[in-house]
Amino acid sequence: MPAGMAAAHASTLLPLPASHAAALMVFWFSGDRESGPNVQIAASQYERASRKWTPARFVVNRFAMGEQLGYGLRRLGNPVAWMDGNGRVNLFVVATGWGGWAASRVLHLRQSSTGNGLAELAFEPVRVLPLSWLWNTSLLVRNAPLPLDDGGMVLPVHFELGIKYPLALRFDREGTYLGMVRVSQRPYLLQPTVVMQSPKEWLAYMRDERPKGKIGVAHTADAGQHWSDLPDLALDNPDAAVAGLGTAPGQMLLAHNSSIASRGTLDLSRSLDGRNWALLTTLERGAPDDEFSYPAMAWADGSLWISYTVDRHRIAWQRFAAAPEPVPAPALTGATP
Amino acid sequence: MNPPMSGWLAQLLATDAPVLPTAGAMQTGLYLGWAVVLAGLGVAAVGRWWPGTPPGARRLRGVALVLAIGAWLPGPYSPVHWLGLAFQMPSVLTVLLSAGLLWDRLASARAAPLPKAVVAAEHATLALVVIGVLAGWALLLDTFALLPVQLYAWGFSPAAVGVVLLLVLLPWVALGRAAGARRWDPWLAPIALLVFGIWRLPTGNVWDAVLDPWLWLVLQGYLVRAAWQVCFRGLPLNA
Repeated sequence: MPAGMAAAHASTLLPLPASHAAALMVFWFSGDRESGPNVQIAASQYERASRKWTPARFVVNRFAMGEQLGYGLRRLGNPVAWMDGNGRVNLFVVATGWGGWAASRVLHLRQSSTGNGLAELAFEPVRVLPLSWLWNTSLLVRNAPLPLDDGGMVLPVHFELGIKYPLALRFDREGTYLGMVRVSQRPYLLQPTVVMQSPKEWLAYMRDERPKGKIGVAHTADAGQHWSDLPDLALDNPDAAVAGLGTAPGQMLLAHNSSIASRGTLDLSRSLDGRNWALLTTLERGAPDDEFSYPAMAWADGSLWISYTVDRHRIAWQRFAAAPEPVPAPALTGATP
Repeated sequence: MNPPMSGWLAQLLATDAPVLPTAGAMQTGLYLGWAVVLAGLGVAAVGRWWPGTPPGARRLRGVALVLAIGAWLPGPYSPVHWLGLAFQMPSVLTVLLSAGLLWDRLASARAAPLPKAVVAAEHATLALVVIGVLAGWALLLDTFALLPVQLYAWGFSPAAVGVVLLLVLLPWVALGRAAGARRWDPWLAPIALLVFGIWRLPTGNVWDAVLDPWLWLVLQGYLVRAAWQVCFRGLPLNA
């Protein structure tokens, strides 16, 4: 945590190339409180040599970004990181306009520094992504992109003004925005995480905002050109974010809160078909009032890495040298539509 | 992300290759756009609510100048900093309408349009207003995912530009050349599309170029007023 900051939430993990001194980077938002005026995007890197996280530092400030955009950003929220085909770190950050989270937009930032060591890492805005006609409001990003074999990626986002619905955005290897497709027709699903079953068949798992909700699922068989809803999973969802990762064809992992009305338990489950899930391990188990939430997963250096929020005060992480069972292969990429 | 198609038709309908504005164009467009809109609104307000202010009065020019220059103040001192935060950039058509309003109020003497042209232009304007109102409702429904198609996403395709151009020209074609005689308003929507074609402002999406939510609300007010005049007061459209 950067010094003096009481709140931390919504971490995202970015694996780094083998030539980099660090194995992976983590970004999250931090400040006095969630949605506070001094919230910034913080980052840390896990150094391969020392096997330690570097002291965190802020890398995105809303005033600096607003100055470069030419207009204000009221608050910053969830960050999501991706490395483009030129090795530049791209960040997609929730930035609100006039209002709360429902007035959010997705701000696309790109690394402006020569290197991406933490000490020198700096960003500049590319644009606020044009995603909606209604003053471009109420679109948020949360989960990691699905990398594609052409070097591009699919970024899951969601709309949340009154109703909720998930979308998938396409980017090319340069990080150029290519378009969007609606993922589900159900008005209560948000924060999709896209997991690959095979190069053209993907599944999107989603948080369910309804009381006593289950994890929602949508499916595409043509690499994201069209999506259709599937019946909910059997897994409960207490209106909490989930994170998925495809580790090999037919091998999928899902980090999720498994209680019906609490974020006090965080589980890691595995599936071969994307429909039937078996518990691998419980990552955290606390009292019902405890919160272990907003998981993020990545595969780096032959290990599965999981980060998550603890009580909105700090970011915790776990590393599995080999995922509990079975051992995952390196993460696969999806096909280009 | 369209189904595979071949040749030019696929390119025409494609929504997966949007041409987006450059950072420089976006920032210039943001400040220039809001400067013109603020000046237009200020002049309209003064002309309406400050008694004894004729078109072309020095007072109006002063207000327009102050508001337009004020928009370029740095950072949070500029109203654009806050307007951009809340509403992003106005549509090109809103900016052009504001510029037209400025031209109308600041020019001291204007050539009177021909009576026949006035009637035709009013009908054509009304037709465009109806189209704008309906398009806005469709885009609002699309925002809340209540349409079976993704109308806003389609606005990134080249075909959408053609369809919008057809829609904005249709009333003028139907009503003949008289509709455009000695009036500036017939040409604003086509000019907005031309500006969009060159600079892709404000977002690279054609819907954002010709219709923003504020303009949509104004168009609805215009439509209600026109309906009230015609239906309940028995007045002609241009009264």
